[in-house]
Amino acid sequence: MSRTLAILGVQLRRSVLVALQYRVDFVLNAVMAVFWTASSIVPLFVLYSNRKSVAGWTWPEALVVVACFTMLKGCLSGAIQPSLQAVVEQVRKGTLDFLLLKPADAQLLVSTSRFELWRTSDVVSGALVLVYALVQLGYTPSVGAVALMALLLVSAVAILYAIFIVVISLAFRFVKVDNLSYLFMSIYDAARWPASVFRGVFSFVFTFVIPLALMTTYPALALLGRLAVTDVLIALATAAAFFLAARVVWLRSIRHYTSAGG
Amino acid sequence: MISVSHLTKHYQVHKRQPGIAQALRSLWKRQYESVRAVDDISFSIAPGERVGFLGPNGAGKTTTLKMLSGLLHPTSGEVSVLGHVPALRSREFLSSIMLVTGQKQQLIWDLPPAETFELNRAIYGLDRAVFKRTLDELVLALRIDDVMFKPTRQLSLGERMTCELAAALLHRPRVLFLDEPTIGLDVTMQGVVRGFIKRYNEETGASVLLTSHDMDDVAALCPRIIVIDHGRLIFDGTLSGLVEQQRPEKRVTLRFGEDVVAARLQGLGRVVDQAARSAVIQVPAGELRGVVQKAFAELPIVDLLAENAPLEEVLAELFAKSREARA
Repeated sequence: MSRTLAILGVQLRRSVLVALQYRVDFVLNAVMAVFWTASSIVPLFVLYSNRKSVAGWTWPEALVVVACFTMLKGCLSGAIQPSLQAVVEQVRKGTLDFLLLKPADAQLLVSTSRFELWRTSDVVSGALVLVYALVQLGYTPSVGAVALMALLLVSAVAILYAIFIVVISLAFRFVKVDNLSYLFMSIYDAARWPASVFRGVFSFVFTFVIPLALMTTYPALALLGRLAVTDVLIALATAAAFFLAARVVWLRSIRHYTSAGG
Repeated sequence: MISVSHLTKHYQVHKRQPGIAQALRSLWKRQYESVRAVDDISFSIAPGERVGFLGPNGAGKTTTLKMLSGLLHPTSGEVSVLGHVPALRSREFLSSIMLVTGQKQQLIWDLPPAETFELNRAIYGLDRAVFKRTLDELVLALRIDDVMFKPTRQLSLGERMTCELAAALLHRPRVLFLDEPTIGLDVTMQGVVRGFIKRYNEETGASVLLTSHDMDDVAALCPRIIVIDHGRLIFDGTLSGLVEQQRPEKRVTLRFGEDVVAARLQGLGRVVDQAARSAVIQVPAGELRGVVQKAFAELPIVDLLAENAPLEEVLAELFAKSREARA
């Protein structure tokens, strides 16, 4: 455990150093991220400009979902995507071999190899949107509600991470899968809408296949004090299941990589 | 320390004829061909040995190195390194080996090598004091004291290679797998790398298995060589043993004080090359003494050099023979 933390620490340090080396990039990217967050609210704004509520969600309530979406996006594109995207490149170049030769868990090494720290600006701007939404609602959540939202956001990160691990595991078999991760990023964009907006097939897919509902709508509902205990348990169990399943897929892919290899 | 018995690795390779029609065809019907990258090879390496692993491109050298380091599972046969089965990739095993390849790098591109060293310290769980001592030694031996604080992307190939070696040796491995470690390096850097590998081996008693196409590497580092071709082992023995087996002849270069016609060289040996004032002749090793005496007696010699045939030539001949044997 202490070794795991030590490795995580050194890897984070490395990303901080890279960020410091490219300071101008850091600032520019962070500014751009704020701009993108603002632009992600535009469609919502247009939608709500001539009605009071959509699928049972008022404008400030929907903003809470957007806030969760933005914060999660920061985690996804700052802490999950860069490392795992890099694996695809490593598989192609053959430098993944060096990682597999290290006496440490390869999944840990792979998942922590790159953090894009300027993405924390997403988390900050998400938090600002959240505060604005709460002010609009005139609602002060309890400490418990905030903690529950945080817990559900963490399990959402676990689900996103698991999905990415599975996507990347495909890289061991099919080598070029970077496009798949772009596809996933664009699907993730749907999570900015409250889950009840979706009907039919989309509702099914976003609940059971890629549980977008769990990721952004549940934490929002938790904050607003409207999420049932059973739903909380379902969300946590789903996250755990995704995480474990991803681990199994990863281990199998590594075994396949070394046994077929080349 | 390393023992390999009947090691075999087959790959399934997707085979396709050229042309669009064939490419379309292969979309639904693929033909696979089984390639024997490594075919039933056996050898063992003792602690402290330095062994050159030679063969033409595609002979199966890298595949074998990958199986020895646990990156590939053998199709059949057995491998044991330091008592471990490499394919299991146990932490203990991985902590006592290293693999450096001249073609690929593990250094973090955007940061100075010192950061990679620090990362490896955490990954190998090295004690700080021990790490510092090892690093100081490596820095001194490889002369990287100022290089290691510059971003890797700004380093020359030679500087990068020395830092690669340092990064791979911080955990003091007992088995070194080196895949063309001097490729692309200038003569000075090659010398530094060779000297360092030799010294590390002598000081720590680690075993070294090295592949290279540079025969100077092999001659400088490896008393013993293993040669493979098309996945099969075709020679295992000392370097001098290989030369004796393949080319029991010595090569004598003669320089003359005045022009010498070809006829006067007859009876000395096979003439490989001749100019007005020099000649190269090939002589069976046992007859060298007599031939030299005769040459001094009969010819206006100003300089004479007797040596073995160049290693490249000896190997080329060995490969040619192995090709004939296959055909």
